[in-house]
Amino acid sequence: MSSGFYSSVEISASGMSAERLAMDVIANNIANANTTRTPEGGPFKRQLIVFAQKQDPSAAQPGADTPQGDQGGGVAGVQAVGIISDPGPDKLAYDPTNPDADANGYVHYPNVEVVKEMVDMMAASRAYEANVAAIQDARQMGQAALQLLQA
Amino acid sequence: MADLDFGKTVDLLKNAMDGSGLNHSVIANNIANVNTPNYRRETVSFKDALAASLGAPADPNQLSLTVDDPHHIAINDGVEPTPYETPPVHVDEGIQMRGDHSNVDVDQEMAELAQNTGYQQTMAQLLKVNYSQLGTMFRENP
Repeated sequence: MSSGFYSSVEISASGMSAERLAMDVIANNIANANTTRTPEGGPFKRQLIVFAQKQDPSAAQPGADTPQGDQGGGVAGVQAVGIISDPGPDKLAYDPTNPDADANGYVHYPNVEVVKEMVDMMAASRAYEANVAAIQDARQMGQAALQLLQA
Repeated sequence: MADLDFGKTVDLLKNAMDGSGLNHSVIANNIANVNTPNYRRETVSFKDALAASLGAPADPNQLSLTVDDPHHIAINDGVEPTPYETPPVHVDEGIQMRGDHSNVDVDQEMAELAQNTGYQQTMAQLLKVNYSQLGTMFRENP
């Protein structure tokens, strides 16, 4: 059964690690906001993290209402299923003296908007805190149950 | 499991704590998926399962007789109590809350989380009182 005290902590922990990974990706984007050279050639491309609901077949609820087919069922948390590159266009800056300037004197900078990254970082940080709050509540509930032994 | 029957109240409180534990997992899952695109929030109506485990008289203004033996005669056609079963998880197809087609409202989830924790603690406290009353009964010299 998936309703135990530890499984709800595991669900929140999966949310925390996913948000922490999102934070890493965002930090990498900010760190590389001005990177014009990469091993693949060309400027750095903004990275995006893709989250998906984690399905646990062993935790599937009998008789669960699953109208979507791919939704519902086992309560199992979240996972990062991939990190993709933002296909958006590079930012161009006219700087003919830059060693990375192209034939027309334009330098291709990464498609990273630092302000946007900061906003995403705040969202990831708040989501992380929400998961922490859920774990704290799970702990309180566990303590309330354990106190039954002191009756 | 039911070797010792401590009565309806203890069973009900136990099921209430069980249900609130499941509800906590479901809410925690919604919070963990707050940044998942196209996610549909899930709910569990364990209080309906609890109500079904109690049964109900057909007319709430009339008294009914408890039927706990096949030889008893049910009067007033009340709803028979059914044994408590772990309630199913439902997918909420409610209105979209976010630009990424998710319908999770993190404020609502946090409020429900707090409410559920308070509920579970209340049930635990009531169960504790029940057990301490049973303990008083069992002790030879209270």
